[in-house]
Amino acid sequence: MPVFLGDTPVIRRPAPPPPVDPAVTLETYYRVQQFLYLECRLLDEERYEEWLGLLTEDIHYWMPLVQARYRKDPKPRYDPHRMAYYDDDLFTLRRRITRALHPTAWAEDPPTRTVHHVSNIEVERTDNPDEYRAYSTFTCCRGRNEVEESVLHGRRVDLLRETPNGLRLARREIYITQSVLLSKNLNVFL
Amino acid sequence: MPTLTTGSSTRRVGWSKDDLRSLIDLEKGFIDRRIFWDQEIYQLELERIFARCWLFVGHESQIPNPDDFITTYMGEDPVIVARDLQNRINVLLNSCPHRGNRIVFAEAGTRRRFNCNYHGWSFAADGSLVGLPAEELYEQTCPGFDKKDFGLIKARVGTYNGLIFATFDEEAPPLEEYLGDFRWYLDVLLDNDEGGTEFIDGSVKSQMNCNWKLPAENFVGDSYHAAWTHNSGAVGMLGQPVGKINQDRSFAVSVNGHGWQFGLDMIGNAMTLGEQEVLDYLRSREQVVAERLGKIRSRMVGSVSSANMFPHFAFLPGHSTFRVWHPRGPNKIELHTWVLVNKNCPEHIKELYRKGVMRTFSPTGVFEMDDGENWEHCTATAAGVVARRQKLHYGLGMNSQIEHDELKGEVHLRKYNDANQRAFYRQWLKLMCDER
Repeated sequence: MPVFLGDTPVIRRPAPPPPVDPAVTLETYYRVQQFLYLECRLLDEERYEEWLGLLTEDIHYWMPLVQARYRKDPKPRYDPHRMAYYDDDLFTLRRRITRALHPTAWAEDPPTRTVHHVSNIEVERTDNPDEYRAYSTFTCCRGRNEVEESVLHGRRVDLLRETPNGLRLARREIYITQSVLLSKNLNVFL
Repeated sequence: MPTLTTGSSTRRVGWSKDDLRSLIDLEKGFIDRRIFWDQEIYQLELERIFARCWLFVGHESQIPNPDDFITTYMGEDPVIVARDLQNRINVLLNSCPHRGNRIVFAEAGTRRRFNCNYHGWSFAADGSLVGLPAEELYEQTCPGFDKKDFGLIKARVGTYNGLIFATFDEEAPPLEEYLGDFRWYLDVLLDNDEGGTEFIDGSVKSQMNCNWKLPAENFVGDSYHAAWTHNSGAVGMLGQPVGKINQDRSFAVSVNGHGWQFGLDMIGNAMTLGEQEVLDYLRSREQVVAERLGKIRSRMVGSVSSANMFPHFAFLPGHSTFRVWHPRGPNKIELHTWVLVNKNCPEHIKELYRKGVMRTFSPTGVFEMDDGENWEHCTATAAGVVARRQKLHYGLGMNSQIEHDELKGEVHLRKYNDANQRAFYRQWLKLMCDER
């Protein structure tokens, strides 16, 4: 049987890409970018209480597990009702930070060294004029003790809110590439 | 199938029975650090412990319907836990008998057939080979080829009150005998409500660079570390340090190497989840549980306690974290963690357990973080030749065994006690010296 080796309907075609939101100003973009960079620096300098100050009262800080499921499986790979790394409100985050800053947090003394990088920032409007959605990617490199190093890569979806004190983080979703966390703990915020 | 396997994979190793016995001194309470470091000992553990013991592989609620499956490990062997059309649970080696490829890559799902990606051999949930491409050529050109001989290797399966166990050892005693009187203790968590239990969906998986026995011995009976190691976590969750424990109302019990250390405070572990409604839930059920299981077990439901079922299945009553320390070499584990709840528990309480375990005993948990650091360094120091020459002390509570009217198994008074750890290593030694 002769085989036609040219273009056929089986071969995938380009589709229209989603538009870049034209109503987000350079100034807004700059403020979001500076907010995310500041946040990284506060975390890397262990200024956790000031980091908490960047969050809204109703913060939802969510880092789900990925469940390896086949593409045809009707159940999702991410599910808000499953176990998660983080599924926190402000009070839970305050509790975590209370532990991290306590002098008997033995695993944090000497301290873990961290560097957060944020990149691929995109900002778009939401239905609420006071809120923006920001996409970003990150790497977080941790150094512990003498030779331990652990690197996490991930994607984030943030909801940022305009407040009288400036932008504040109201919601964060964090998706990492590892399905088995390749370290003994996750003692950082991402 | 059995005719096509080679039987024992045991190699001749350098560790004789006498050598192994010299590692564990139960009389004086000393353990040789080489058990946390030696590669040959580790290989022997895979053969004589992990390929022989009844291992926890899942909870029935994870595969409620026919065709449901999950994947996990037995030792370093990957396995599929699958419910077939007859509603039987099968535990199958996750490796194709043709070229050895892994068959299932999802961690959970629903499938009638498991197809190997390499050549398309297709297996049913009971492990039988039901189809392969160009089957007629196999019939024509492979004398004696019979599909029946090429199913996935099957483990023996047993269940106890919702928990699924499996063993690859044809000679292992029945599960009931393996659990023995430990069932009486397991019922504290598995049978305190008529509706039974379930796992909340999702397993947190992480790796630690530690020997698998360090977390196992920690959960089997190391109450002693909690107040010191976890002081910061307690401050975070309770606003104050770990409370003083009334040692004379606490116990370390063991059965066949399984162990449980506990007080009778009913809610101490549960308190550290930091949710008042969880405590209210437990208190509201105290009378019902007492009628069902008796007073003493009703006080164990959420008390300050921990347990490990030999070899590597552990849990914290009250916290409801359940976990397995899968071995990955002498100095690495893969830790899988789930949350157990009563099926009849109100949904909003289940949600509080889910979040409570996440923030206490998961990789982000305020308690687990300090554990992992300890176990990794207890393992790493054994690389030093001088360190390995020094045996470690497991002698706490040498004269603490008591007779108790109600408590079953070997009972020791006071949970600040190494008795359960000695019982764990007694069982370890017994199995390691079994040269069959």
